[in-house]
Amino acid sequence: MNEILTFLGMEDQYKKYELFFGPNHPGMHGNFSYIMTVEGHNIVRIDPDPGLLHRGFEKLVENRLWMQNISLIPRICVIEPDINEAIYSIAVEKLMGIEAPERAQYIRTIVLEMARISSFLMGFGGIGGSTGLYTAPYWTLADRDYFLDLFEWLTGARVYHMYILPGGVRRELPSGWLEKLNETMDYIQKRLFEYDKLIYNNPLIVKRLKGLGKIEKDEAIKYGITGPNLRATGVKYDTRKAVPYAAYDKLEFEIPIQEDGDGLARAIQRREEFQISIDLIRQAVKMMPKEGPVRVRMPNPLKFAVPKGDVYVKVESARGEHGYYIVSDGGRNPYRMAVRGGSYTAGLVYAQKALKGMRIEDVALWMATMDICPPDFDR
Amino acid sequence: MKQNEIISKIIERFPSAVILITDDKQFSITVDENDAVTAVAYMQMLDFKQLAIITAVDWIEKGKFEIVYNLFSYEHLQQVFVKTLIDRKNPKIQSISNLWEVAGMYERDVHEFFGVEFVGNNDLRPLILHNWQDKPPMRKDFDSEAYSNKVFGNFKKEKAL
Repeated sequence: MNEILTFLGMEDQYKKYELFFGPNHPGMHGNFSYIMTVEGHNIVRIDPDPGLLHRGFEKLVENRLWMQNISLIPRICVIEPDINEAIYSIAVEKLMGIEAPERAQYIRTIVLEMARISSFLMGFGGIGGSTGLYTAPYWTLADRDYFLDLFEWLTGARVYHMYILPGGVRRELPSGWLEKLNETMDYIQKRLFEYDKLIYNNPLIVKRLKGLGKIEKDEAIKYGITGPNLRATGVKYDTRKAVPYAAYDKLEFEIPIQEDGDGLARAIQRREEFQISIDLIRQAVKMMPKEGPVRVRMPNPLKFAVPKGDVYVKVESARGEHGYYIVSDGGRNPYRMAVRGGSYTAGLVYAQKALKGMRIEDVALWMATMDICPPDFDR
Repeated sequence: MKQNEIISKIIERFPSAVILITDDKQFSITVDENDAVTAVAYMQMLDFKQLAIITAVDWIEKGKFEIVYNLFSYEHLQQVFVKTLIDRKNPKIQSISNLWEVAGMYERDVHEFFGVEFVGNNDLRPLILHNWQDKPPMRKDFDSEAYSNKVFGNFKKEKAL
């Protein structure tokens, strides 16, 4: 009898078991799954299993007109759809050699920063949700609604706005909208201090996040980790500063960085960038030209063709570098569009390394601090 | 380094490369199929540390696949595409997963959607499409409407109620 038990203990296959984390797990962010091999509480191997959200955007855009795609591409990312419209519009403008009017550039900046804030709010809620602090998601999602209200007033839609078009933005700001935006900014600024008390100075969260999934500087660059996660390791790089688009080159802002590179540093980095976004919106509202066109005249949408060429446009999204590689063969629809999602490498490749040796309960929290977004993988 | 300094270094090393400048922060290099991996490794040596994406373009009329390695440098703030054309009938190229670990996943993606074989990458399992039986879907000769009619029934022929 003893001999058999020793034999069973030695055999690996009885020691380890397989656990499906997602897609129906409350801690999972979206339709995505990690297949984990666990030994007791510790993860030995992790295998990402994307594909449950695949909608084939890259193929769909090839069969549609350049202008038709505007209503399709925001759907690539649910939480922050405006970045997609912005990238696509900037890419088409670059290929055609036109430039959006100055007022439109400022409006784009405001819309992009608003989208960024609403994405950060969702992220704050995610951290609260996976640590068992359920006040945080209720607060942040309620505050996010103020931004969705503003979007609804501006564009007619709450989630998918289709507001930024090649050549500018769809329409002029409604009267009274900027005043309401300023009011919302004052409100969210006050709330931010409340969040500090609730989330960032909360011993419970600090204890859970400290030392979670520490990333080194070189490792982050090698694995293609971008955005706030990269800056949390101490690399001072921001696409808005380095390769400016919209009106970012006219605005003044300083990029905050953290040194630690762990979960707490990433969370604090996002909180600091939240403040930067509020300041940027205020600055853009002040500096925006009071009058002027918001859109250049574009050719007939049913007939216009984009000159031959290829371009890669990237913007700073809340999750990192979001970019499109667009190829045109001179026709009426895109020849090829490749999407580089902000958290593609972090969620699919880096996760295999980082989650090894971690405990099961930390996976959801790690995903929240890294802001892993499954639409980035599946497209 | 400025963009022109980088370009002159590349020309020195790869005299046959075709260079196309998009703007002051972006340019592309087209090299021979055999030089592709060397060129990517050379760019990595020139501080192009971030591999943004590996992708492919199907030029069906030329009978070629274009593999595009999209690199970025945090030092020079330059985006570069290293491009190479490979034969469409027998698409094969050396893997660069030894240079970047993330390259393995992008290659897996391209392998699934274009059917390009990456020699040296031993993890080319299906990633996104589960139980896919048809030809790789991002190829230009893949007809999505015909596929949809075959798999989900012919919607056009159904009569309205």
